[in-house]
Amino acid sequence: MLLLPERTPMDKKFDLLSTIEYGGCSAKLPAGLLSEVLSKLPVATDPRLLVDVDTHDDAGVYKINEETALIFTTDFFPPICSDGYEFGEIAAANSLSDVYAMGGTPLLALNLMMFSQEKIPLNVFGEIRKGGHDKVSEAGALTVGGHTIDDHPPKYGLAVVGTVHPDQLITNAAAMPNDILVLTKSIGTGALVSGEKNGLCSHEDYNRALKQMKHLNKHGASLAVKYGVRGMTDITGFALAGHAMKMAEASGKSFRIRSSQIPLLPGAYNVYEKGSIPGATFRNLEFTDQHAHYTRGVDYNMKMLAHDAQTSGGLLMAVNPDHAGALLEDLNRIDPEVSAVEIGEVIPESPRRLYFE
Amino acid sequence: MLKEALLDLKMGEEISVETDNDTSLKNLLSYLKDQGVEPKVSSAGNVHTLVTIKPEKDLAASNPAIYCTTDLPFSYVVCIKGELMGDGDPELGKLLMETFVDNLKLQEQLPTHVVLYNGGVKLAMKESPVCNSLTELEELGTRIMLCGTCIDHYGLQFDIGVGMISNMVVITETLAEAGHVVTP
Repeated sequence: MLLLPERTPMDKKFDLLSTIEYGGCSAKLPAGLLSEVLSKLPVATDPRLLVDVDTHDDAGVYKINEETALIFTTDFFPPICSDGYEFGEIAAANSLSDVYAMGGTPLLALNLMMFSQEKIPLNVFGEIRKGGHDKVSEAGALTVGGHTIDDHPPKYGLAVVGTVHPDQLITNAAAMPNDILVLTKSIGTGALVSGEKNGLCSHEDYNRALKQMKHLNKHGASLAVKYGVRGMTDITGFALAGHAMKMAEASGKSFRIRSSQIPLLPGAYNVYEKGSIPGATFRNLEFTDQHAHYTRGVDYNMKMLAHDAQTSGGLLMAVNPDHAGALLEDLNRIDPEVSAVEIGEVIPESPRRLYFE
Repeated sequence: MLKEALLDLKMGEEISVETDNDTSLKNLLSYLKDQGVEPKVSSAGNVHTLVTIKPEKDLAASNPAIYCTTDLPFSYVVCIKGELMGDGDPELGKLLMETFVDNLKLQEQLPTHVVLYNGGVKLAMKESPVCNSLTELEELGTRIMLCGTCIDHYGLQFDIGVGMISNMVVITETLAEAGHVVTP
């Protein structure tokens, strides 16, 4: 049984951000590099595998019987914020999100952790785990153990098992032409983390970003199932553009995105406007490169923010136009802390994957 | 930092930027390219020096609300209804259309959109003699818009070389909102 220490007062706090150069989902390996390596590895094939790595999806899905399929996923990263408890909450929300992105319900979680007791006070270890534990409980799942390795800088995340009815499985490969693209959280967590570090945004704006990162995609997932959404993914390290591109590719379609309608966290635009653009953004831009087109007049900062690496970002849904209005209304009523917005639509497969205007 | 410095410069004045790593160099080039300028780069060992002039575009005005509307004073949409330009000898009509499309990219003010429908979509196919010109226009930021129904009708789904497949809702909207429609 792990004894969880009391949270230490703010003035004595160990700053987790002091351990890293870049944290959260910005620490992902570049998408292009990953695809190159992974494409050379053998892929498991089995008729019971409903979703494998082939479609760049968020998790693996294994059909147990006609009623139940298992969703299995993991995610972990270095600190995205100073406070241990908040880091735990965000890392857990981010890991759970992969289950939600498939339309599923998380059941069990295992902690994956790297932590050096020589470099960081032990109470921070407890705080991170408490944050993770509380978030898993909020999701209605159970934490059943984990594994910790002595390493620095620290990393934390979860391996999560969830379930979904095979008929209600939502993948990133099922977007249909004319579907409306709905995004459930605002963009700009990467910008605001960088803004906080460089003194280019207010604490209020930064705290709003932290709050959004802790927010579970739970309601988004259940409403997606309710409205028969077939194509969905969650937005994380490869940014809105990178994940949208993967979804369009897996679906064999293209997406038209209205850049002026991409919802932004307050303060995020200003961080980019002042020229503080994280390196991860440029890496993501390189990934979408020739696959994206921007009409003249698309604002440079909006183009870059579409490539801002998100940590625990929102869900990107492709919903039948007949249900889009009701889905958006329900999302914003049931989940008022985050705002869901229509950002574009699915179009037939065209020479490029993404068309920004 | 570069952006702040550019704001202080007068139009046409030169600025030189030094950087000591490849990533920063790539990032600076990407930014400047988007501002429509091609800097000269010279490298000595690990140090890269970029020399550029201040772009004519007003950098201070990068407000998304302003940029995302397309109502520039002379904005126009080109609407191409078929493969031929004008009535008469089809061979002449074909030649005229090719010359027209090739000339579009040379205009001082480029069209915001080129809408192609019915036989017009054939101009955007890989084998079309103006596919390259349309691609160049697209690179310059013009949206090439193809009628999806027409592509299906002619069975050209696998031959498209350039452009975004669209539907009549979007095409109607684009034509209705155009400041000016040019039809060859």
